[in-house]
Formats: sequence, structure tokens, C-alpha cells
Amino acid sequence: MAEQNLIEIRDLKKWFPVQKSFIERLVTRQRQFVHAVDGVDFDIRRGEVFGLAGESGSGKTTTGRLILRLTEPTEGHIFFDEVDLAALSEEEMRRVRQRMQVIFQDPFASLNPRMKTGDAIGHSLEIFGLAKGEEKRARVMRMMERVGLTPMAPLYEKFPHQLSGGQRQRAVMARALIMHPDLIVADEPIAMADVSVRALLLQLMMDLKEEFDLTYLFITHDLATAKYICNRIAIMYLGKIVEMGTLQQVYSNPQHPYTQALLAAVPVPDPKARRTAPMPRGEIPSPINPPPGCRFHPRCPIAEEICSQEAPSLEPIAGQEEHLAACHLVK
Amino acid sequence: MSEPVLQIRSLSVDYPTRAGLVRAADDVNLTVFRGEVLGLVGESGCGKSTLGMAILRLLRPPGKIVGGEIVFDGNDLLKLDDEEMRQLRGARISMIFQDPMTCLNPLQRVSEHVVETIRTHQPEVSEEEARKQAAELIDRLGIRTERMDDYPHQLSGGMRQRVMIGLALALNADLIIADEPTTSLDVIVEAQFLDLLRDLQRQFNLTIMLITHNIGVVAELADRVAVMYAGKLVELAEVFPLFNDPLHPYTQGLLKSVPNIRLTEDHLQIMDGSPPDLINPPPGCKFHPRCSHAMERCRAEEPPLRKMQSGRWTACWLFE
Repeated sequence: MAEQNLIEIRDLKKWFPVQKSFIERLVTRQRQFVHAVDGVDFDIRRGEVFGLAGESGSGKTTTGRLILRLTEPTEGHIFFDEVDLAALSEEEMRRVRQRMQVIFQDPFASLNPRMKTGDAIGHSLEIFGLAKGEEKRARVMRMMERVGLTPMAPLYEKFPHQLSGGQRQRAVMARALIMHPDLIVADEPIAMADVSVRALLLQLMMDLKEEFDLTYLFITHDLATAKYICNRIAIMYLGKIVEMGTLQQVYSNPQHPYTQALLAAVPVPDPKARRTAPMPRGEIPSPINPPPGCRFHPRCPIAEEICSQEAPSLEPIAGQEEHLAACHLVK
Repeated sequence: MSEPVLQIRSLSVDYPTRAGLVRAADDVNLTVFRGEVLGLVGESGCGKSTLGMAILRLLRPPGKIVGGEIVFDGNDLLKLDDEEMRQLRGARISMIFQDPMTCLNPLQRVSEHVVETIRTHQPEVSEEEARKQAAELIDRLGIRTERMDDYPHQLSGGMRQRVMIGLALALNADLIIADEPTTSLDVIVEAQFLDLLRDLQRQFNLTIMLITHNIGVVAELADRVAVMYAGKLVELAEVFPLFNDPLHPYTQGLLKSVPNIRLTEDHLQIMDGSPPDLINPPPGCKFHPRCSHAMERCRAEEPPLRKMQSGRWTACWLFE
């Protein structure tokens, strides 16, 4: 394992069984599965912001949950700081989990409405038995100061609904950082936020990244926002990575037809740049019986015969060391 | 310019709350012309959806229109009785919301929705003929006709929004109010929907009031743009000049804080502060506490929305 990698994912799969009624089970013997994540490999390097982007149903959120071990993989391995998470006991996993924190898209949903902001920030200190009482309060106050949640004393006593949007985002960050994690999984951290709050949170995430020496996994459907924060990015479609590379490589020279469509679809806040590129037809198909071969082939404008027969693997693009694509037609 | 379809004059909407009175829309003046797409943008809580609901007289209690006029086809909508208003809604003014499931009857097939709408609008059309028209319409929306007898829950979000547009077309509505129509859609589905909407708008000369927080969607589709802040209309202009040279400091800040996938070297700018608490709004211009150009006058007197020589409208003392 390369020393610079904080996370290594190898052939990760998560299949969810489809719930069926009793009668249906009698009639059809075969069990069906949602192939939410279906063979994914990538590394997250220490100190980088790694983006995982795709539409709903692409498997990006499930991948994040697998890394946090909020759900168990069907197959494959996740190495965190060179340790295979699958091999850990529950107690060992508890300790590793302190080093990974998650922030969710809606700060309202992730802050307990009946808990004072300060108590919410320090809650995990108590849960993990690291500090309580005055000690906890002092550590919370120090963290509030570092994330700019000031004046500390009055804000400590406030409930989430009494905070402004920006203050709530800071509180969520403070709560994640109080455990001094190595990795923060940010799952659609700004989807709900308005434009001015969004810009603020991105700035806050970048500032705190330097100060706390963090690594981020940034999960998003918003490619325009990802541009401002990610160093590298992987594009997912129906449980598989279709393209991966540095932000520059993927955005300025997208190779996979799906990536090209996705980037072209993003509305640009400039009427002079109105989109003219046609969109692929149809929508992302069901992950229960994904199309054979390349999963994008039924919608792909350049698909050839091989695309419906063989699944392409994620391969480096000639002359581009770090830029990979899973497409038969990309050389 | 073409004839006005809708004229909002000095419209104010209040929400009495336990904490105090919230003026969600404050003395708004706005005209929508036939055949245009008017984008109404602003952040959450700026009053843009309140305005849309007020036009339809569908404000959620305790929301109340406390002043002004909404003139549609020569009549003040605020003077119509409930039955007249009900007739108008749906028949001449159509709505498309973020979640189309709220507008589609879950027990009615898509075809039934369309057939019923066609026959309400044209009672002389036979059931059979209406079904034929419905099939043509559904095909034009890019939905395979074998799906026309599906129930709404069997369709994807994108298809449901297409059905909503189809119903507006079947009615031949004079005005379509679309409130965050693409917000719950994935980006490729959103782009497909915007393509459809643009094609139909041009083909049928539709009049659309597009309410959204998504600046990119407005840039794609709108002919004119109105910007709202804290219940006030602060700027109104055609789409190109507005994006090219925003006048109001709020519009400037808003546009600079929007992520743009195209630009290679830029960074997002952050607007200081946050929108005001509308129970205790600041005196004078409501944007002055966040405005880097604020002068003495801005703190004392509220600037009205005024027409400039260029034909653009803005509410800012800098352009006195």
C-alpha cells in the first residue's frame, strides 16, 4: 500500500436485496439485487479533496457509507491508513471511526433541535468518554473559536434554529473536528444551502483543511461546486466509476461520453454560454438489472457493438498517467 | 413590446407570526408580457415563492395579501370571488411546482389527467378524440406513448414534470407559473426538461414566470430577470445586460457567489452577512448592512424601484 494513501478501495461492492412480497417470492425463485456499488476501485491520498460525483442512483452515497462502515460491503476491501476495515473487531472499528467524521447536506437534519449548540458539538467527546463537564465545555469553546463560531459563550447556549445558516454550518464543522479526524466525508454538504451560504461553507472547509491537516471525500451531484474544492474527482454511473482523474483532466478533457454529457448539462450562470450540446436520451436505468456490457451504452451517442457485450474496465488513457476512463472507444 | 398578461401593482403580503409581522413581499411592481420567460430569482426567504402563490391566491395561512392589485386579462384577481378564482386557476393560469406529485392525482392515470384537461378546456371534444390528442401530446413531451396509461408514481421525476408542462399546454394557459420546476431533478434530466420547455415556449409562444434560486437555470431560459431580496424587487432587466453588468450591489454579489463550471480561473466570492430577519428588518434599504457602497441615505430611506435611462429598473440610491 502506498504510504501517501489514506484510503484504498479495492473491488468494492454493495448489493441490496430487493424486498418482495411473499407471493412474488413463491413465484420467482431468483432473488433480485440492487447493484448500488458494483466493483469500485480508488485511492484517497492524504491531504487531498477527492470528489465522488454522479446523479441519484449512481452509488456515490453508498460508497461513502461503506467507507464509514455505516453499511457492510457485499464484497471488496477498504483500507484506512493501511488497515483493512473488514478485519477489525467492533471495538477496534469504534476507535478507527473517531478518525473519520461525516457532515451531511442539511445542517438542520444533522443537529439535534433540542440540544444546545455547544452540547451538540461536544457530544461525541462524551460518547467516546474523552471529556465531560468543564473539560468538555473548555474544549468545545476552543473549537468554536477556531471555526469562527463566535461570540462563543452566548452561541454555546443557543439551539440550532436560533443560529443563522452560516453559523449552523460552522457548528456542524466544529462537531466533526472536535474528534480531530483524519478524514471528513462530506455528503452533499451544500446541496441545501443558498448561494451565499454555499460559498461560505466551501471557504470554511478549505481554511479548516489546512489548519487541521484534513483529507476530504466530497460526495456531490453538483459538478460546478466540486470544481471549487476537489483536487481529483471520480464520476460514477450505475454503481461504477466511469472516469477518474485530476479535476483539470476530467473537466477540461472529459473522455467518457457520460462525463461529457454530465459536464455539458450543468447550467452555466451566463446567458452567453447557453448550452447547445444535445443531451443523451432517457434516464439512468434501474440498478436492479443494469444493462449488460457498458452500463451507459443504451444512452450513449457513439456506442458500438462491443459496448453492449463487454463491460469496459477503468484504464489509464494513453499519455495521461492519472486520467482513467472505462470506455472501449477511448484509447 | 407585446401586451402585458399580468400586472402586479404595489403588492404586499404579510405573515403574522407569534414573534411579529413578517412582510414577505413588500410593495412589489412587476409586469409579465405575453410570450416571455420572466425569471424571478433570489435566495430562500426572499419572497419569490410567496409572490407566485399570491398571484394564484393560494397563500398558505396565515399569509395574507394586505395591499395592491394583480391584474390579469383586465381583471383584478384580488376582487374575484373564490369560485371565479378557482375557474381561472388551472384553466388560464397553470402551475408547475418542485414536486409534481403534489399536483397529480395518484389514483389517476397520466392519460386520464390529460384527457380530462383537454375536455375541460374543450367540452365539445369526444372522449375518443381527446385520447388521440392526449397521445400526440404525450409523444411531443418525449414520453413513450405506451407509458400514457401509467400512474404518476410509476413515472420518474423528469417525466412527471413533463406531464405538468403537457397539462399546461392542453389548457392553452395564458400564463404558466413554474416554481423551482427543476430543483428535484438530476442535472441531465434537468437539461432535457429545459430543452423541452424552451422548444415548447418558442413553438406556442408560452408566457412563463420561472421562479428559482438556480441562477444557471435562469441564464439558460429567461428573457428578462427580476431579482428579489428580503421581500423587495431590487433589480429588473433583460437577461443579457443583467448578467453582463448587474447594477444593484446585491445582484452583483449574488452573481459572483454562484459556481460556474465554465470559468477556469476564478474563485467564489462571499457576500458578507446574511439576509435580514424580516420581523425586524433594517431601516432604509434592506441590503444596506451587507452593502459595501452603503451611504448615509441608504440607512435612512428605502430606495424605490425606478426606471433608468437604459430602460432597466433598479432600487438603489447609487443610481440616483
